[in-house]
Amino acid sequence: MENPLVKNNSRTYLITVIVIMGLSFFLLLYFLFDTNVEISILDSLITSLFFALISLSLWYPTNYISLDNYSLEKVILNNILIAIVATSLWLYLSYLIVTTIFHEYEEFFLYTSIWRFTIGLLLFIISIILNYVIIYYNNFTEKVLSESNFNALITEAELKSLKYQINPHFLFNALNSISSLTISNPEKAQEMSINLSDFLRKTLSGNDIKKISLKEEIESIELYLKIEKVRFEKRLEFNLDITEECKDILIPNMILQPLIENAIKHGVYESSERVEITLSCRRKENIVEIKISNNYDPSAVSNIGEGIGLSNINRRLKLIYQRTNLVSITKLDNIFSVLLLIPIDDSAIKDFSNE
Amino acid sequence: MSNNKLAAIIIDDEKLARDLIRNYLKQFDTIKIVDECENGFEGIKSINENNPDLIFLDIQMPKLNGFEMLELIEENYNIIFTTAYDQYALKAFDVNAIDYLLKPFSKERFKEAVEKTIEKISNSGRPIIKSSLPKLFPTEEKLKRIVVKKNNKIVIIPVDTIIYLEAQDDYVNIVTPDGSYLKQNRMKYYEEHLPNSFIRIHRSYIANLNDIKEISLLEKDNRIVILKNGNRLQVSKTGYKLLKEMIR
Repeated sequence: MENPLVKNNSRTYLITVIVIMGLSFFLLLYFLFDTNVEISILDSLITSLFFALISLSLWYPTNYISLDNYSLEKVILNNILIAIVATSLWLYLSYLIVTTIFHEYEEFFLYTSIWRFTIGLLLFIISIILNYVIIYYNNFTEKVLSESNFNALITEAELKSLKYQINPHFLFNALNSISSLTISNPEKAQEMSINLSDFLRKTLSGNDIKKISLKEEIESIELYLKIEKVRFEKRLEFNLDITEECKDILIPNMILQPLIENAIKHGVYESSERVEITLSCRRKENIVEIKISNNYDPSAVSNIGEGIGLSNINRRLKLIYQRTNLVSITKLDNIFSVLLLIPIDDSAIKDFSNE
Repeated sequence: MSNNKLAAIIIDDEKLARDLIRNYLKQFDTIKIVDECENGFEGIKSINENNPDLIFLDIQMPKLNGFEMLELIEENYNIIFTTAYDQYALKAFDVNAIDYLLKPFSKERFKEAVEKTIEKISNSGRPIIKSSLPKLFPTEEKLKRIVVKKNNKIVIIPVDTIIYLEAQDDYVNIVTPDGSYLKQNRMKYYEEHLPNSFIRIHRSYIANLNDIKEISLLEKDNRIVILKNGNRLQVSKTGYKLLKEMIR
């Protein structure tokens, strides 16, 4: 593990500590012991530089004698020993250098060696404790970070698993209609194959984590309905009732498409009468209300499963907006409606797009 | 058939799908389309009226799907299924379909299916004996509804309205608050395909748990269930075990 004290962001901190230490040493020598200025500066400079060097290297034993691997008593005992060795080394090295430069200073240095040792030991112990705090703090932030990364990954994976998937039967039936039209009405066949391609391009390239404007979502719904209308003709009617201010509101990609498909599946597939699908949208302060409703044949007991469509949408909205109760269903007078509440406030929106 | 042509009916809810079959059939001057139907109800009516030699049948249709429609037809017909759903293929051969065309299908593939039918008819004529196997709805899913015919009327029974089922020889008597209906089928089939709230409480009975009021002990190892409507049904030893498991 890299010593954080030599990393860029800790460098200023290290320099400050050494300067403070050197300065206080200087003041002590100069005022308390009446040492002359040059000697005071040199002494405090050398001792503090050695201190910095030795305390930096203590980072490695601290890492080695970690609280995870050793008992508390062992850690304390080892570190006291290390501190004593470090202080002795520091004192001896300072003594060697200082007395080599000023021979006459030797007596005074030895005279002050007791308090030098005491202060040094104390400072080394503090610096060791500081190392432990830094290690603990680093581990803690790393853990929090990896945990939140992990959660984001899970959410993203779940969103991907809830991704809209094109119904293969829709595709095969549409292709069958095209196949039929190539004989009876080639022009219409061409138009339908282009519509189908446009729809496929939109859904296959679509990123479900991204948000798109309601206008764009409606464009792909209209493509889809154009194709279904060729198949079902008069049995399918689509009404759009949205206000201008709704058009640019951002919604999760492909969130309405499955609801339209549900309406067709339970409305048009199960009824030989005309089925009207209505998409309406109203803005209410910080919420957009999007409603999709269709009439259905009450006598038809569906043999088609309820489908995972609705619960998927519920789950997706919950993951994206971190809110519940955004989807509600009503059945009234043979009209089935799904109401979606989409929060507009962008700060409440968790954006999972990778861009 | 005055001109000896084979009579065909197309049953599909999509007009374009019917058009395609009509177009593909132009190459066969021995086949005449006598009717086109949009759903299973029309289909049954038309089959009874026209007695066709060949039926092109879609599966997914409003009201009555293709299999349910077949369940209600007394006789056997030559059926070619045309559908986008591949999961019903096995089922289709259970009901002795001649072929199973997956939409969209080619002219060649279609020709193959029709020629197979023509060959079969020229060899043996229309199958007269109804298959001994009851015609069943696809097996993968739990039943949501059962279709029956009573007094020439088609009744769709949502399964959750069924109170209990009783075995009667080759038939099963389905009892609902609106009356009871006979359906040719085996108890085993319903035991396997009804939702979990239905329990085989006896060799002859399957009861809807939601309609059971109480279980009472008459004498040692002789129990009955009393239903909410007052009916009493015998419970066997294994049936009682199943009941206990479900109620726990």
